[in-house]
Amino acid sequence: MIDAVAAEWLKLRTVRSTYWIVGLAFATLLLGSAMALSGVSGWDSLPPERRVRFQAVPMEQVIAPIVQLSLAVLAVLAITSEYATGLIRATVTAAPRRWTVLAAKASVLAAVTLVAGTAIVFAMFFLGRLIVGDRPMPGHTSPIPEEIPRLIAATVTITVVALFGLGLGAVLRSTAGALSVLFGFVFVLPPIVGLVLPEPWDARVAAFLPPGLADGLAGTVADPVLSPLAAGLVLAGYVVISLGAGVFALTRRDC
Amino acid sequence: MIELRELTKRYGTKVAVDHLSFEVKPGQVTGFLGPNGAGKSTSMRAVLGLDAPTSGEALVGGRRYATFRRPLHEVGALLDAGAVHPARTALDHLRCLGRSNGIGRRRAEQVLELAGIAEVGRRRVGGFSLGMRQRLGIAAALLGDPKVLLFDEPVNGLDLDGVRWIRELLRGFAAEGRTVLISSHLMSEMELVADRLLIVGRGRLIADTTVEELAERYQRGVIVRTPQPERLAAALEAVGARVVAEPDGRLAVRGVDAVKIGDLAAEGGIPVYEVTRRGATLEEAYLQLTAESVEFGGAAA
Repeated sequence: MIDAVAAEWLKLRTVRSTYWIVGLAFATLLLGSAMALSGVSGWDSLPPERRVRFQAVPMEQVIAPIVQLSLAVLAVLAITSEYATGLIRATVTAAPRRWTVLAAKASVLAAVTLVAGTAIVFAMFFLGRLIVGDRPMPGHTSPIPEEIPRLIAATVTITVVALFGLGLGAVLRSTAGALSVLFGFVFVLPPIVGLVLPEPWDARVAAFLPPGLADGLAGTVADPVLSPLAAGLVLAGYVVISLGAGVFALTRRDC
Repeated sequence: MIELRELTKRYGTKVAVDHLSFEVKPGQVTGFLGPNGAGKSTSMRAVLGLDAPTSGEALVGGRRYATFRRPLHEVGALLDAGAVHPARTALDHLRCLGRSNGIGRRRAEQVLELAGIAEVGRRRVGGFSLGMRQRLGIAAALLGDPKVLLFDEPVNGLDLDGVRWIRELLRGFAAEGRTVLISSHLMSEMELVADRLLIVGRGRLIADTTVEELAERYQRGVIVRTPQPERLAAALEAVGARVVAEPDGRLAVRGVDAVKIGDLAAEGGIPVYEVTRRGATLEEAYLQLTAESVEFGGAAA
């Protein structure tokens, strides 16, 4: 298993696309900073009575879906590129216990996305605070320790979405297929649910989708559908079910 | 040693391999020969555990491939030379494969050298020609210095130099006592390298033979040119030979060998201008064998 992990780590480091994708994820910091700067200048031009109602979602939350999706691309490609090129046959010929291949990929990607995700989320948070400065902007004034659970939840969700993508890739064997499903879960469904479903079902369903789960895990929602523990279990469920299905597909089907 | 026992593989309703049994022994090059779609690749994939048999089994050294912990040390395989990530360099590709079996960079560099592509080791595989990819695939098969080698169509895409190189490589491995199985759909490739031939058609074993046996079995007599064909034919038929006059006047003789024909002609004082053993080419013998299997299968279906 150590050999398998070392091999997957080497695989990840020896293709250029890895650096592009991680670079893209970090580039969201620029995007977030630019948006924060424009938000701040908007704030500065407002009369005080309107500043009270100023809506300013923290930037790490705004960029979260992009970070989730870009790092998930890394995870999806880790398996689907092997199917696309046929390399998977060489991989399982070298490692006939196929579950170890997926387990090794999952370990390496969990580590990479946790490190990159933590770096991006925390950097965005502090950049945001730096840009807001001492302005009493709603949502940007709480003491930093209070924000830590929310930041950790955002990081964990990034890794969960990536591992979910890895499992999807193993099942679907197709980059486009896995990315479409991920895109649906991260970008498309969350806003649609609010539009299509009647109350209270919109909130109930949204709580089970990645953005809602991040909030649920952080425990920052006023009247939560899921407790932090329940949200954590649902997030774990995403990983266990998709990777479980991935292992099943990888071991049962011909390669 | 590689062993197939009643191996059957069905894809849906299509039978790719049909109760195929054979053994591939160490110390010789075994050619696995058959037309496209005869089940060669499927059999090899079953040996490597890539395809699960519908029934029967495929064993390496008496074990199922899946039971090997570090299989690259046991079996080296070249199935599809295109199965590489184009963005990775040749050396990195080999390091990635080797690493999962505890094989390090030094060995990866060695096999690159062995395969004659050391100077392109740091180039991305995407830019490789088919021949270079083939050499990379062979390098990958050699990573663990395995005792058993399986190569599916190894000369595909190789130039003449490459073909000669792989022929010598395979013969060398067999001489070292390794088990070598190579597949091809071309008899001409096998003639020069294989000690033993396994000929398959429609998923079944048609012949388990050697190059010499096959030539022997399909030889078509001796051709004799003489100015007195009637007399020579009578003399030959008197000792039990079957003689047929060819359209050009030469005699096709079966049942006696060239030495006997020469002796009989000398005894009878019959001049002989030419005595030639006419073997069917191996290509013809092989085509005949596989055509029979195709006709048989066609009639049965």
